[in-house]
Amino acid sequence: MAAQPYGLVAVFDTAPAVYHAAETVRDAGYKCWDCITPFPIHGLDRAMGLRRSKVPRISLVGGVLGFTTGMSMIWFTSAYDYPLLVGGKPYFSPMFAFPVSYELTILFTAFATIGGMFLLNRLPMHYHPVLKSDHIVRGLDDKFLVVIEARDPKFNLAATRALLEKAGGREITELEA
Amino acid sequence: MSHAAESAHDAPSILREVNPTPLPRATLVENNRSFGWITDKICGIIEGKTPTWWWVCFVVACFVASFTVAGLTYLVATGVGVWGHANPVNWAWDIVNFVFWIGIGHAGTLISAILCLLRQKWRTSINRAAEAMTIFAVVCAALFPVFHVGRVWFAWYLFPIPNSNYIWQNFRSPLEWDVFAVSTYGTVSVLFWYVGLLPDLAILRDRFTAAGNRLRGWLYGFFAMGWRGSNRHWSNYEMAYLILAGISTPLVLSVHTIVSFDFAVSLIPGWHTTIFPPYFVAGAIFSGFGMVLTLMLPLRAIYRLEDLITQYHIDCMCKITLATGTIVGYAYGMEFFIAWYGANPYEGFAFINRAFGHYAWAYWIMISCNVITPQFFWFKKVRENTTLVWVLSIFVNVGMWFERFVIIVTSLARDFLPSSWGYYSPSIVEIFTFFGTFGVFSVLFLLFIRFLPVMPMAELKAVMPQADPHGSGDAGHGASGRSH
Amino acid sequence: MAAGAPAAGRALVIGLAGIALTALGLLVSGGAKVAFSWLVALTFWGGIALGMLFLVMIHHIFDASWSVVIRRQFEHGLASFKWLALLFLPLVASVYFAPGAVWKWMNPAYDLAQVGGSGTVGEDVLWAKKAALLNPTAFVVITVLSFGIWIWLSARLRAASFAQDADGDLKWTYRNRVTAAFGLPLAAVTLTLAIVLWVKSLDYHWFSTMYGVWYFAGCVRAALSMGVLIMVWLWVRGDYRGVLNANHFHSIGQLMFAFTVFWAYVTFSQYFLIWNANIPEETFWYNLREMNSATGFANQWKWVGMLLLFGHFFVPFFLLLSYKRKLSRTQMPWVALWIAAIFLLDLIYNIWPSKKDGNGDALPFLQLHQVWTVTAVIGVGGICVWAYLRSFPTTKLIPIRDPRIGESLTYHESSAD
Repeated sequence: MAAQPYGLVAVFDTAPAVYHAAETVRDAGYKCWDCITPFPIHGLDRAMGLRRSKVPRISLVGGVLGFTTGMSMIWFTSAYDYPLLVGGKPYFSPMFAFPVSYELTILFTAFATIGGMFLLNRLPMHYHPVLKSDHIVRGLDDKFLVVIEARDPKFNLAATRALLEKAGGREITELEA
Repeated sequence: MSHAAESAHDAPSILREVNPTPLPRATLVENNRSFGWITDKICGIIEGKTPTWWWVCFVVACFVASFTVAGLTYLVATGVGVWGHANPVNWAWDIVNFVFWIGIGHAGTLISAILCLLRQKWRTSINRAAEAMTIFAVVCAALFPVFHVGRVWFAWYLFPIPNSNYIWQNFRSPLEWDVFAVSTYGTVSVLFWYVGLLPDLAILRDRFTAAGNRLRGWLYGFFAMGWRGSNRHWSNYEMAYLILAGISTPLVLSVHTIVSFDFAVSLIPGWHTTIFPPYFVAGAIFSGFGMVLTLMLPLRAIYRLEDLITQYHIDCMCKITLATGTIVGYAYGMEFFIAWYGANPYEGFAFINRAFGHYAWAYWIMISCNVITPQFFWFKKVRENTTLVWVLSIFVNVGMWFERFVIIVTSLARDFLPSSWGYYSPSIVEIFTFFGTFGVFSVLFLLFIRFLPVMPMAELKAVMPQADPHGSGDAGHGASGRSH
Repeated sequence: MAAGAPAAGRALVIGLAGIALTALGLLVSGGAKVAFSWLVALTFWGGIALGMLFLVMIHHIFDASWSVVIRRQFEHGLASFKWLALLFLPLVASVYFAPGAVWKWMNPAYDLAQVGGSGTVGEDVLWAKKAALLNPTAFVVITVLSFGIWIWLSARLRAASFAQDADGDLKWTYRNRVTAAFGLPLAAVTLTLAIVLWVKSLDYHWFSTMYGVWYFAGCVRAALSMGVLIMVWLWVRGDYRGVLNANHFHSIGQLMFAFTVFWAYVTFSQYFLIWNANIPEETFWYNLREMNSATGFANQWKWVGMLLLFGHFFVPFFLLLSYKRKLSRTQMPWVALWIAAIFLLDLIYNIWPSKKDGNGDALPFLQLHQVWTVTAVIGVGGICVWAYLRSFPTTKLIPIRDPRIGESLTYHESSAD
């Protein structure tokens, strides 16, 4: 193979194994790497040295946008553009405007959350070297993988392979890009 | 365990005295199953041949669903007069059915969202099916307000889009709030359900592709968005899921609150009561859990899912049904008490009339089904008898349908002036349209169990003991092998 | 390690001093105003005790794990019920010695012209229709019954929990679950009856089915606030180091957030439904708290209401959204104190405007007689804190043999570590 591989992948059999392996890789100073797990492992974020997700900030923006949209839309239609007296109620009151604004807050928060999650995860990404690997079926099923990318400054085919072996990984193979 | 003492200081001496008596928590997955067993079991339902019983049920469901199609077509072609509505009862079966179906949907969101926030891990085996139930229930529910407007082709007038009359929607009306509430609820429920499906769709994509079925692999893969189980992705995913659970909770509470506002913001005796919002929400959760039990118990038996939906799960669902039924009972008591305390003669009459007037038969069905039936769940012997639980769950839903009927129809049939009084009966079109919606629901639910994973595999695995990174990693021989 | 006699003694002294000062108020402002202040103090501290009772029972019914480490402190808080019952006696006595001073319907001869009405209570058909409930005997019976049930439930829950420290027998856990299962409906009904009779009937023309739920929401919020204050106090003293971790603080903060939203939901629903239907028989209660009929202008209670909306909902809501803040042992005590203080304000808002002047308008919020509310709260509070501190050293700090204590001590959430 003339082209550089995408990286190395190692298979681990149990959740504690991949957890400790992650700590090892993190402590060794790697930055461009990942774990592939069938389900989110409790505490793995910390073991990988990841910071808290930024999705909540995007959600908050969505929520605020939703609420203001609701209130302004209702004010505009009920008190400004075509005011009509209905049931003796005032043209605009935060009381009757609240239910709709509240629902829009939730709707926009939901859109922002999901959109934000996809954006931060850079999904959809139907093509990815990991998905070409033979291990992926088991990686989503009952095995755990650690993938270290070749573009990481500390990556060295032999040294990284040795590290993964030391951490307990099996079937260490190269991933083609 | 290693985290008992947090600081470098000596742990307080009290910790040395800690000696808990063991009381094991119920296992959520019985018989020491492995991750692989779960994947095979759930995917097996989709990958296998369509069973005969499924075809039979599907055909029957389509036939029943055709009643709704026929009923609604006839309604639109002829006019709202084909229904039994007449002054003074202009809201009847249509609104009862709407509230009925929306209420059923709420249990799904409760299981997904509220139980998630309360960290109740047992929710994982039922939340996918319950969320699906929510979406299909919202579809059935939405049919009614849309079609009851009469001139359905003007239904878009409900949305804040400029129309040729240059008039805007009436935001002071609870019916308009319903439009936003139900639309938001449907949309967010679908999104939440879809986000939960992502990892499972990825599993199916890879299994079908590995097995050589490229079409199905491609179809599932398209919706899987390229999910690859990356922990960096899981980090954002879990946060998004938590936030969605966090907003779905106030959403589900608000939707049925806004539905209750349809009645409570009015002046009608029997409708205008400040406790309606939480009372309706509790009632919705009550009826929803009844429906979850009605659906999951047969599913569990047919697909042999006893290891995943255990007696503990059934116990919890029965207890929630009991608790919410009791809250509904409290609300009945409060309504009655304040009807007396408030000394409003119309309100007092409304309640006497419910129990002893022309609709007394409906009222007593409601009381026996809603107040008496759930009390059976106090008894362990009852909770362990799945057939009995299933029968009781049907009664719960019958009772809740009658509750909405009693609230809506009795208050309208006998309001302030005796000259405005009247009796309502449903027409044959209404009856068929309503029973047809059970067919619509069944068609959608059957399609769901045939083509989509009936349980969230990733979430299930995450709550098993083998998933604990601080555990031994190997709870018996099942952890890594594909043994059964 | 024990909280010790000195602290308990100090609380008792403060309590007695507060009570003495409140008694002084009888000479300054008169019995009726002092009685209103006393009622506020009792519903405040009684509400906190009730909130703790509900939290303990909810813990048992859910078979909760994280809250085991603080449950014991709530159980100590339940010791205050018998003292609250005792402290309620002056109000019961007022029923016989000064009927009509607080609850007008205690005295059928009460002339409603004093509060802008006409005729006597006895002639008021709206009272006659509910005279079966609104009479001194029913009041005393329900008060005695409610306190009796709360004391009995507390005793059962405490006894079982304390006994388990010694033998670790699982039967105590099962007993507590049974107590919780029948205790919750019982407490719900007694709480509702009590708040209807003690507070809602102050303005006996008014009614709302939501009232019991409103009080419940407020009680749990105040109890959670006390829980946070106790957690931080014991942490600072060193008792809870190694016992509590960041996740416990986060969880109680989340519960406070949830009940903030729940309180707002209940309060909003009640207000909104009455606002929308606009029926004078119901709206007058809110109008009383918004404007004076004499002047037609907004009165002070309107601003109290606004403070409730922003201070009891918006501010805690946004403060408790932050993950970091919920963990902070310096900020959370202030949030907790704030919420407890506004719960007091909520009770003042519900109780005081029923003390009306000759025009039927509420007496202003800021008046000299509010001093007695403050002294009464300090007085009753001192006694309750004394009861807590007396109970504290009698048992272990945490339920050492509770089956879930291990889970609670090593509690970790999925996102917190």
